[in-house]
Amino acid sequence: MAAFTTSLDGGVAVVRISGELDIASHGELLAHTEPLLRSDAKVVALDVADVTFIDSSGLGALVRLQQQAVDAGRSLRLRNPPRPVTRILSLTGLADLFPTDTDQ
Amino acid sequence: MTPHERPAATDGRREARRLAAGIVAAGMLLTGTAAWAAARVDANTEQRLLESQTRQAASVLTSAVQLIERPLGTALSVQRVAAPSDRTKAFRRFMVSFVGPDKMFVGASLWQRRGDTVEPIASTGEAPAVSLDDPATRSYVLRAFEHTTPTAEQLRIGDRARIAWAQADPVTGYAVYAERAIPADRRAPVDTNSAYADLHYAIYLGREVTPEALTTTDVPPATLPLDGDTARDEIRFGDTVLTLVTSPRVHLGSSLSRWLPTWLLLGGLLATLVGAGTAHRLARARRSAEDDATTITELYQQVDALYGQQRDLFERLQRALLPSAMPTLPQAEFASRYVAGARGIDIGGDWYSVVALDEHRFGFVVGDVSGRGVDTVAVMAQARFTVRAYLLDGHGPAAVLERCSHQFDIEADGHLTTVLVGVGDARTGELILANAGHPAPMLVNGVVEPVSVPPGRPLGIGPATYAETTVQVPAGATLFCFTDGLVERRGEDIDAGTARLAATLRTAAAKSPEEMVAHAVASLRRADTADDIAALALRWTGAY
Repeated sequence: MAAFTTSLDGGVAVVRISGELDIASHGELLAHTEPLLRSDAKVVALDVADVTFIDSSGLGALVRLQQQAVDAGRSLRLRNPPRPVTRILSLTGLADLFPTDTDQ
Repeated sequence: MTPHERPAATDGRREARRLAAGIVAAGMLLTGTAAWAAARVDANTEQRLLESQTRQAASVLTSAVQLIERPLGTALSVQRVAAPSDRTKAFRRFMVSFVGPDKMFVGASLWQRRGDTVEPIASTGEAPAVSLDDPATRSYVLRAFEHTTPTAEQLRIGDRARIAWAQADPVTGYAVYAERAIPADRRAPVDTNSAYADLHYAIYLGREVTPEALTTTDVPPATLPLDGDTARDEIRFGDTVLTLVTSPRVHLGSSLSRWLPTWLLLGGLLATLVGAGTAHRLARARRSAEDDATTITELYQQVDALYGQQRDLFERLQRALLPSAMPTLPQAEFASRYVAGARGIDIGGDWYSVVALDEHRFGFVVGDVSGRGVDTVAVMAQARFTVRAYLLDGHGPAAVLERCSHQFDIEADGHLTTVLVGVGDARTGELILANAGHPAPMLVNGVVEPVSVPPGRPLGIGPATYAETTVQVPAGATLFCFTDGLVERRGEDIDAGTARLAATLRTAAAKSPEEMVAHAVASLRRADTADDIAALALRWTGAY
């Protein structure tokens, strides 16, 4: 289970994700974020501070979104990734795929 | 409707019909009994009322008879006090109020006894129906001297009838004879009395109820005798009796009593039919609901069975894609295991593979395609055979992954694939590893530690390059490769899972590779996990 809320922070579209990004919720992540990659926002940020779990399907969804962002000339960034997320990204060789921002 | 449901439905209809028939039978019985009882009560009441009204009617008739007979007695008393010269005049004077058309008698005569016979000495009113000189008339009048009350008999003149009375006074030796006409309509004067209002009646002279004895009636004489419920009473009449036979003209009791049997019958039948119909419908509905429940249960069981079959099919497909036998190499032992997720119908895309490259060298792979289901297994099969083909072509692990990275595209198939590829030399114990985003293997050698193999990008993201790591494996040591299903748990840091695996392997370090794999999977697999697990263990036996 995961919950998604979208907001606009300056020119950045922010999708705040909480819960588990897995085989059950990865389709929902795509559905929420893909339209933003076709919007006026040049930057789409996924705030994953409240993501508690991410599996290979969740990683796959993040990768697909990043590829679509590149194709659309947008930038997809991760905000405030907690340790489980950064750990998985580094273990799976995906860390360098996602520019990361951390709020103060 | 499937064939085996039909008998149940037929049973249901039969059962409903049986129930309805039972209710109809019971309802008919109750209705019939109640209506019969009510009818019996009503009939008894009617009979009682009829008898009571008949007694009333008889007493009215008795009074009427006395009224008729009284002038005869009075006429004789008049003779007792009349002067001998005045007897016939006194008789006529007295009788004038009683004799004439529409009066009590049509005619009357005074008789005097002379020796053994009687002679008429005076007569008034209409000529009598009988000849006064007729010996039969004389003997009739004479017979009156034998009675203290009047005698009476019926006479017929053609179709007209009369009642003839005779009364005698033995003291004076006089007798009175009188005839009374029975009306042409045979109606008795009493029937205007209220006691007769609700009755049909027939009055007979004497005790015989015969057409000849009939005096008066309110019904056409041809329809006599009265039928149905009748009552009977006798009234003294001269030296004989009048028999009064009655039948009710209307229902004598209350209308409730009269109609109750009918209402009970109709109401009971209606209630019975409605009850039977309702019961029938309810029984059918209940049976239908039971059948539905059965059908749903059966459908559920079928779905459950299909689910099991599909899951079984997927597992067999998955296993068919995994090597059924490990290559045999001197100085090396292999053990492997694949288990599907315990929960859910879909299998995952985990796999392992070992391939002999020459007499001493071998390639091995452990991989994981993201997602679950048939298309995941298809990508897994593609990955497995692609990696294997490049290994057999003689490419090193990094080159294999690099080439594979051109072959897979998450945009096209929706899957991300992590792979650990290794090439080992059984003579030297040297391993070359390359990693596309896969969990690092464990080296079990007294201590258990992850082998650091820097991960490159998983397959599916696009062309990538990979680094190779060379590991020298000591004799007796085991390399344990696995997929994330063995270590990953929700709400837990991945490193905690890795540490748990290390601890588990440490306790199994002395076991054979086969036992080590079995122990790790059995210890770490959770009953509620949907993720599948692949594990591969390689051990150097050391004789190189």
